[in-house]
Amino acid sequence: MTADAFRDASETVSDPATDIADLARPFVGLLRVSGASVSTFGPFLDARTISATDERAGRIDELQFDLGEGPCWDALTTRRPVIEPDLASSTAWPVFAEAVRGQRVGAIFAFPLVLGPLELGAVDLYSDSPRSLEVEQQRQALALSSIVSRILLRHVVSGAQPVTGTFSRRLVHQATGMVLAQLETTPEDAYLVIQGRAFAENRSMRDVAEDIIERRIRFSTRPEEETQ
Amino acid sequence: MTETTRDEKLFDAFATLADTLVAGYDVMDLLQSLVDYCHDLLDVDSAGILLANLRGELEVVASTSEANTVVEIMQLDADAGPCTQAFHERIVVSVPDTEVDTDRWPAFSKSARSQGIRSVYAIPLRLRETTIGTLNLMRDQPGELNPYDVRAAQALADVATIGILQERAVSDASAIRDQLQHALSSRVVIEQAKGVVAETAKLSMDAAFDRIRSHARSHQMPLSQVARQLVGGELRL
Repeated sequence: MTADAFRDASETVSDPATDIADLARPFVGLLRVSGASVSTFGPFLDARTISATDERAGRIDELQFDLGEGPCWDALTTRRPVIEPDLASSTAWPVFAEAVRGQRVGAIFAFPLVLGPLELGAVDLYSDSPRSLEVEQQRQALALSSIVSRILLRHVVSGAQPVTGTFSRRLVHQATGMVLAQLETTPEDAYLVIQGRAFAENRSMRDVAEDIIERRIRFSTRPEEETQ
Repeated sequence: MTETTRDEKLFDAFATLADTLVAGYDVMDLLQSLVDYCHDLLDVDSAGILLANLRGELEVVASTSEANTVVEIMQLDADAGPCTQAFHERIVVSVPDTEVDTDRWPAFSKSARSQGIRSVYAIPLRLRETTIGTLNLMRDQPGELNPYDVRAAQALADVATIGILQERAVSDASAIRDQLQHALSSRVVIEQAKGVVAETAKLSMDAAFDRIRSHARSHQMPLSQVARQLVGGELRL
């Protein structure tokens, strides 16, 4: 039953026909929470709610952006899920908790949106009344978040310049190999990471590829190890 | 090298190539052997094979040097140089002296000179009505290629064409396109694998390629297969 629900949810988010404004909905279906939102923020992308299932979900995002605190920030900074089964009794985010008081937010959960070293944003989930998420549900939410990360990043870089020139492409392939070894990931993800980095710095992929090959840039999922 | 020794070596090369074509092979291995034969048997310092992709651009698929500087020159040649002309006009194009012949392709001639390349020969890879790419030969000395080398190079180019197109029996135009695409995408995986080894073993790209190649040889595995395993994380060198 839950395996089917997860398959349905991941098929929905992966479907190219799914608008990015609808990416939050499958989380509600999968985890039976009251509402969900997908947002970008952090060092790489502008703070923006990409998808929210209802007004309250959007409001929860907005408050966290404005206040600079809340579960979504913690999720992105630690790159781990944040699970708060009972917000009213929590001491984690006093200002945020105060701000949502009266909005019927019992429990709140946040999952990071990251790809390799790139921090993209977070998925926020809330429930009217206090409740927790089982380990299996957390695992599924993380897996769904990681699909959403790729979709968001592809969407963000889709307007970027394609790599022109066969020699440039060759360098990008070599750099892709280096990055996939650095991050122990797939060629597709490594390519996306290079693309994201180029986009963030407004440079060409070939420039970034040359920096990688010359070992001026090294990627790591632990940001402190990354050289600039 | 004396004529006799060279004749013997050429004979051996073609015998080996014929065996390969009969026995079944990996197209990347075949093309790599071909450029190496050009280097060993002809009076040239570097050689490369370029194939046309779906956009009609020529891409380097095999080269005697994996140094990015050398590949870049061949690629410049592919954009505007003797290669492009050989490809489009289906003729052998020679540049006997890059220091004299500076006007035809200024960008190409300039970087060729800066890398010490004095003469270049581009031979089209043709099968009946179709041209699929070029064989590129470069020398550090000026001058024409001797007629003997021209003939041997043309024969090696023909083997390359047959090898690329016959890896699976190729008859019609779309099959030719598929086969070219197959060779070009095998090259993509090899470039990625070079990156993997460059990163994990802290090597330059050409040293990484040498390591991949010697692993393939000593384990009698196709180059493309070793490359795929490296990229898939199933193998570490």
